[in-house]
Amino acid sequence: MKILVPIKRVPDPALKTKVKDGAIDLTGANWVVNPFDEYAVETALRLLENGEAGARVAGAEIVVVTIGPEDAAQQLRSALATGADRAIRVDAEDKALDAGVVVAALVQIIAAEKPDLVILGKQAVDGDANQVGQMLAGKLGWAQATFAASVELAADQKSVLVGREVDAGVEYKRIGTPGILTVDLRIVSPHSVKNNVTPATFAYPDGPRYASLKGIMAAKKKPMDVKKLSDYGVTTTPVTREVGIELPAARAAGQIVADIPTLVKKLADEAKAI
Amino acid sequence: MSQPLNYYKADLRDFKFLLFEQFKLQELLGKGIYANWGEDEVNAVLGEVYAWVTKELGPLNGTGDKEGCRLEDGKVITPAGFKEAWKALYAAGWRSLALEEHDGGQGGPFTLHSLAEEMMCGACTSFNMYPALTQGAAEVIQRFGTPEQKERYLAKMYDGTFAGSMCLTESQAGSDVGAATTRAVRRPDGTYSISGTKIFISGGDQDLSPNIIHLVLARTDDAPPGTKGLSLFIVPKVRLDGTPNDVACGGIEHKMGIKASATAILNFGENGNCIGEVVGGVEQKGISQMFLMMNFARIGVGIQGLAVASSAYLNALSYAKDRKQGSSIKQWKDASAPRVSIIEHADVRRMLLDMKARVEGIRALSVKLTTHIDKVRVLGEDNPEAAYHQGQVDLLVPLIKAYGSDQAFQICATAIQTYGGAGYLKDWPVEQYCRDSKIFSIYEGTNHIQAMDLVGRKLGQKGGANVQAFAKDVATFVAANKEHPVLKDQIAILGQAMEALTSTAMRFLQWSSGGKLELVPLAANRYLEMMSETAIGWLLLDAAVIAIAAGEKLAADHPDRAFYEGKRYAAQFYAQNVVATVPMKAQQIGKEDRLPIQISDAAFATI
Ligand SMILES: Cc1cc2nc3c(=O)[nH]c(=O)nc-3n(C[C@H](O)[C@H](O)[C@H](O)COP(=O)(O)OP(=O)(O)OC[C@H]3O[C@@H](n4cnc5c(N)ncnc54)[C@H](O)[C@@H]3O)c2cc1C
Repeated sequence: MKILVPIKRVPDPALKTKVKDGAIDLTGANWVVNPFDEYAVETALRLLENGEAGARVAGAEIVVVTIGPEDAAQQLRSALATGADRAIRVDAEDKALDAGVVVAALVQIIAAEKPDLVILGKQAVDGDANQVGQMLAGKLGWAQATFAASVELAADQKSVLVGREVDAGVEYKRIGTPGILTVDLRIVSPHSVKNNVTPATFAYPDGPRYASLKGIMAAKKKPMDVKKLSDYGVTTTPVTREVGIELPAARAAGQIVADIPTLVKKLADEAKAI
Repeated sequence: MSQPLNYYKADLRDFKFLLFEQFKLQELLGKGIYANWGEDEVNAVLGEVYAWVTKELGPLNGTGDKEGCRLEDGKVITPAGFKEAWKALYAAGWRSLALEEHDGGQGGPFTLHSLAEEMMCGACTSFNMYPALTQGAAEVIQRFGTPEQKERYLAKMYDGTFAGSMCLTESQAGSDVGAATTRAVRRPDGTYSISGTKIFISGGDQDLSPNIIHLVLARTDDAPPGTKGLSLFIVPKVRLDGTPNDVACGGIEHKMGIKASATAILNFGENGNCIGEVVGGVEQKGISQMFLMMNFARIGVGIQGLAVASSAYLNALSYAKDRKQGSSIKQWKDASAPRVSIIEHADVRRMLLDMKARVEGIRALSVKLTTHIDKVRVLGEDNPEAAYHQGQVDLLVPLIKAYGSDQAFQICATAIQTYGGAGYLKDWPVEQYCRDSKIFSIYEGTNHIQAMDLVGRKLGQKGGANVQAFAKDVATFVAANKEHPVLKDQIAILGQAMEALTSTAMRFLQWSSGGKLELVPLAANRYLEMMSETAIGWLLLDAAVIAIAAGEKLAADHPDRAFYEGKRYAAQFYAQNVVATVPMKAQQIGKEDRLPIQISDAAFATI
């Protein structure tokens, strides 16, 4: 079974965002793999291994791909270091990209790679657009299951049963392969991924795995193809345009009120909360 | 049970500056023994180790301190979470960074290993003692063991199946290792029957691994007294055939700090049934075998100090940005002036810059030292060019051990002071850091033993060539930068310190040959401090020269600008406030003050 995981680099969400001249200031930014994409890589790894034995199932392959500038190779390396087998970087400047361009490129990569599953993060935490997975499924005409909180690969590897958290509870959907999966935070809970190989009792540590020392050293030797958008015949240009960026207004200082009636009145009149 | 929280912090930008901008590790990478290593791998390791320690080890620091170790039915129980961390550590492989590939390692630079060690130790000092001592014991067997001994023990000690310990101390043999009386009696099959009691043995018992390989200093019956008669024995807790080896844990100590590191009393051969084998198959080599390891262990202790002090500083820094108290001194007349963060008060800033300069300076000393070790490795021990580097290693080991550990305790105390009352409470990590750090100046040879090693052995080593090479390196730097537009005043201070250091060393020679030997131990600790301050002042100024040049090339709002600016301030502050005291200390030593020797015992107190 082959799984393709597209990943995106984002400025470290743990650090403060700086805005300068109407744009996010990225000088000296610390780039990391989009957290939801890390969960996607982790999901792929869990689907294709015996977690208890720590061994990959036969014939499994995980390909990670990113569309971005040269520096983005680092994020691919870190996915390789945790266990992905191969990487593809399609060279492009961030400015030349939007969801439409990314999807156009992915469609061509998928045509060339023919994966059984494409697993993506539900959204990237920089723009929070939440579009690529759904658009990709639409363009390919494949089944999709978004915001997966759990997934079970059927023993015959022909379908996955996906649990999605919805307002009323958990909705289960079975989609056939090839298909598109986008994953939510819960997918990296200890028992969220089942594959009929790892014993059902086995508990993974919470969260995506760390790269081991061996993994880091092995990553250097794993193949990483570098392509251009034109290699895939992509001529699409971005249709979204950034008009401006500003930080939310600073919160006003709190007030201390004399008594409960004043509080109620303020909540009703000023805060319009009740 | 307190909430498991990670408090460990490290400034990886500083690590990378030292590696790639100041000490140029990249020149050793990608070829020779480090052919598999490039900057990317080094950076990836730093990032992953940091992520790993802050998640897996950091939360155990406070809970381990609270819970401590306990003894049940003669067995040590480590605090909750330690077993899992032990397993996770060996699965991640961080201990095998610098091990050779045929030992299951990745053959990486020792300098990188040492920075990883700093992070593991800083995140949870007590936990890190177990694997660090295991590695130390394994390296003795690696270096001196017979092929059969290596075959029997090494792989399992490197992969965490077995742990290890170092058993030197006995109740009458602390600093005076040569007073050890643990007995070894030859048996017909070439093994030895071991009997005696060792005390203060870190990791002497634990529940992390099913077996512990103790390295025990003991004396055969026909051996001479003193250190020369000691032999080193491999004594497993459980024999390799699975039978117990008559090693009993007689108790564990209740301590000021590193409470989750078991400090055990070990009784060997209470039933006459403890069997050991002599390392390398040769007797009376114990001290020289241990000595080689001692170099690494002493560097390790200096790094322990650095690790804890560094996190104490970074925690104090973040607290100082947060805590509001008082108003700006500029508005001292206005009672309603807005409250400011304490980082705005001059004295708090002084403490922060003081801690920063010391921490970063000690790290620079440590990275310099480990880079010399890497160069010895790259050149090969027999290469004549390696002699210079090995000489600097030998010279700097007592400095990093003693200055690193003395300063660690002081820096932790300054961190507590920065917090104010909160720092004294268990709610914050700095009081634990302070307690944990006190041991570093005591074990692996007290800091006075280090000072005597420096003045008694290291200064005269190779006819003084090592210390002369050091002085020459400093002089070359001073000469090259004495007109530096920003740093020239501080560079002049460094030059004066170096002169004072050299003249003090000459004085020691005169004392030794002129019947004033008793003055040497009295001045030794101070001399070690002077030499450490000169070395660190030099390295901080060297960093500042690099940082000023690099910073000028950057855009005004580039985040690295602030980093480089920090390097300059740290160097200038340390030179003016610390290095400047070196000539005064030299003068003081020159007065041949012997009051502590002259005062009678009775005069110390009336009780
Ligand atoms: C928590 C902890 C963990 C330890 N772990 C280990 C371990 O794993 N393995 C191990 O073998 N040991 C271990 N030790 C023992 C440690 O190495 C010794 O405590 C240390 O070497 C000092 O010996 P001592 O305690 O007997 O002090 P002493 O030697 O009695 O020293 C007391 C004081 O006298 C000074 N002094 C002693 N001799 C001289 C001299 N000749 N000249 C001038 N001053 C002198 C010392 O500097 C010190 O200030 C550990 C100790 C502790 C507390």
